[in-house]
Amino acid sequence: MESPLTYLLYFLLIITGLIVVFYPNGGIYWRLKNSFKNDSKTLIEDILKKLYHAEDGGNSLSTNDIISSTNIRPKIIIEIIAQMKANELINFNNGNIKLTENGMDYALKIIRVHRLWEKYLSEKTGFDKKDWHDIAEKMEHKLDSQQTKELANDLGNPRFDPHGDPIPTEFGEIESIQGEPLPVFKEGTIGRIVHIEDEPDIIYKQILAEDLHIGSHVHIVENNEKRIVFHSEGEEYILAPIVANNITILQLLKEEISEENTFRLSNLKENEQAKIIGISNECRGEIRRRLLDLGFVLNTKIELDLISPMNNPRSYLVRDTAIAIRNEQAKYILIEKIKNDANSN
Amino acid sequence: MKNNKILNISNDLRWQIGDGFHDKLTEGIYSDAAQIAQNSVFKKGQTKRFRFDRSLDKIVTSKIWGFPIMILILSVVLWLTIIGANYPSGLLSELLLDTIQPWLKETSLSIGFPIWLAGFLFDGVYLALAWVIAVMLPPMAIFFPLFTLLEDFGYLPRAAFNLDNLFKKAGAHGKQALTMSMGFGCNAAGVVATRIIDSPRERLIAIITNNFSLCNGRWPTQILIASIFIGALAPQSLSGALSTLSVISIALLGVFFTFVVSYFLSKTVLKGEVSSFTLELPPYRPPIFWKTIYTSLIDRTLIVLWRACVFAAPAGAVIWLISNVTFGDTTIAHWLIENLNGFGFILGLNGVILVAYIVAIPANEIVIPTILMLTVMSVSISGVGEGNGVMFELDSVSATGEILKAGGWTLLTAVNLMVFSLLHNPCSTTIYTIYKETKSIKWTVIASVLPLIMGFVVCFVVAQVWRILL
Repeated sequence: MESPLTYLLYFLLIITGLIVVFYPNGGIYWRLKNSFKNDSKTLIEDILKKLYHAEDGGNSLSTNDIISSTNIRPKIIIEIIAQMKANELINFNNGNIKLTENGMDYALKIIRVHRLWEKYLSEKTGFDKKDWHDIAEKMEHKLDSQQTKELANDLGNPRFDPHGDPIPTEFGEIESIQGEPLPVFKEGTIGRIVHIEDEPDIIYKQILAEDLHIGSHVHIVENNEKRIVFHSEGEEYILAPIVANNITILQLLKEEISEENTFRLSNLKENEQAKIIGISNECRGEIRRRLLDLGFVLNTKIELDLISPMNNPRSYLVRDTAIAIRNEQAKYILIEKIKNDANSN
Repeated sequence: MKNNKILNISNDLRWQIGDGFHDKLTEGIYSDAAQIAQNSVFKKGQTKRFRFDRSLDKIVTSKIWGFPIMILILSVVLWLTIIGANYPSGLLSELLLDTIQPWLKETSLSIGFPIWLAGFLFDGVYLALAWVIAVMLPPMAIFFPLFTLLEDFGYLPRAAFNLDNLFKKAGAHGKQALTMSMGFGCNAAGVVATRIIDSPRERLIAIITNNFSLCNGRWPTQILIASIFIGALAPQSLSGALSTLSVISIALLGVFFTFVVSYFLSKTVLKGEVSSFTLELPPYRPPIFWKTIYTSLIDRTLIVLWRACVFAAPAGAVIWLISNVTFGDTTIAHWLIENLNGFGFILGLNGVILVAYIVAIPANEIVIPTILMLTVMSVSISGVGEGNGVMFELDSVSATGEILKAGGWTLLTAVNLMVFSLLHNPCSTTIYTIYKETKSIKWTVIASVLPLIMGFVVCFVVAQVWRILL
């Protein structure tokens, strides 16, 4: 028999070993798995996507631009680009790379899978918003056209992904996003958020932390080089222009503007009465259907019923039934407070 | 084809209608329903919510009284179960074990059964079956009706409402508080009770972690070992309090593991499962007493008992066989104990305990009788017990302690047995129920193996640290 101390040491060694190998993302196992995945098909598809996004934004990329935007060895990239030229996916034009018609079709197919998969993740799974992009980045290389078709049918042929990006059709047609970046608009503008860009990661996470929702109305009250201040659903938001630039809004016509009296349900206080205006587009899939089934629909009267000892969840009285939901969900339900003259003193 | 044409048209329409279609449909259904109700239902005055409901709700969910009321109710239910079950359990075991069993064996021998067959049937199969019924039936027949009464009255949803924030932090659902409490009665019933959780991810979490609720089959083990070994540490007057305290700490340790494992699961393997939370708080209702008792006995107690019996009978056979079938000059049980002793020692347990936990997978109730039988057999104590392969229990706690100490038990063995009794694979009834509820081999395997690995790790660390320090 060994001494207890030796056993403990063995045990610690095994545990450390397991952690080093399997630690999420950083572990040796995951890295090895990733390094095998950088095959030429994946690389070609990634470069096609980069080219498409550049051309869509009116820019063009050279070979050097592509090399500097990835951390893969330049030699491999140059080989891949040569291979793409041979397959007639790209052309060279004054040192800039341009997509051929084939290349464009191919790129749109990849983008279609990516956006469909994000839609799938948002509707049918419980993955967090911030994980969607990375998972879709992996899936987009895996589905063939038949599987893509089935996926699209399953989701009811959606037109937009959860970030508000249009999904290309099977035949490569794509709608353009209407609207302009938030900083373009003047103070006093009222608009609706139609798109939130999910790249780069750092800025997307800031937007997520602000808890802004696609589809919500915004009212810009201040707009200068330092900051942009706007109101949305009863809250005030202050963003740096570089962050606000990743939010696209569509200016609303007079008749579309709903009054400034819109709040989130999480904002409702005791003894206040309200009616429901709708459920935010950010609330999707199972939980959205559940809320609808429970009667959280347009024009329903609602009031606060009980607050749990730790303030969350709270229960609300909807159609004479007490239903408890968490504050994290209540913020997706939009209400309009009803002024009750009898109570205002 | 005509069919295709229709599908194409519907796809086209769907594309044109856009995303808000489901919302519009539900709105339409609700406004139609409201209109129909308005035309045909007549209300007397303003019947909002009854004043009684409202004021009761204010109290049971209040910041000050919410938690104390909950803890009080749970303690009363557990106390009634543990104390109240003693008497009928004693009667049943006297009848089934002390009267019917010897009679069966003698009669069978007198009408010419061979000794091995009588032993196999009545010392093995029948004894395990009778044991499970005697120990399991009374507490379940008390616990489940009480629980169902609370449920029918409408209190349980309020408890879930109060506790949800705690469970939310562990990535779980407030209703898991209920399935967890139900697990104190029986894990298999707790797993069935997770049906009340409508969100798939949280439901799986509740199923996998239910085993960390110390069930009825394990309470007696904890209480017995604690009063023999831990109670003895304190002076006579305090020993009762100390052993009670140690059992409660094991139960709380289980609650702690429930939260830790829930958190871990929700962040790793269960990340992608759909999560949604809504909780309806139904109006309070006076429970229909007899109907509730009847349905809870049929739906919960008898179904669980039946499943337990189905698994206990073969276990009894196995226990008898390994103690009586010999290879060369040792029995299988001896051979297993010898081989597992080394591993058992590293874990701060021993071979007997590990063998007992292997053969007693069907029911935690028979762990202690099996341990006693195996200990007596392996250290050849004469004058106690009923013979090889015949489980037994002694009336006297101190005599039981003498046997265990003769089997080489120390305080460390006792502590680790208590830990291992909390952290090991669920009983086969529960495993089968988990499979029935999840319909997935993957989750069943995870739910069975995960607690076992945790038990090994915790016992191992405790044993090593104990030996270094003491």
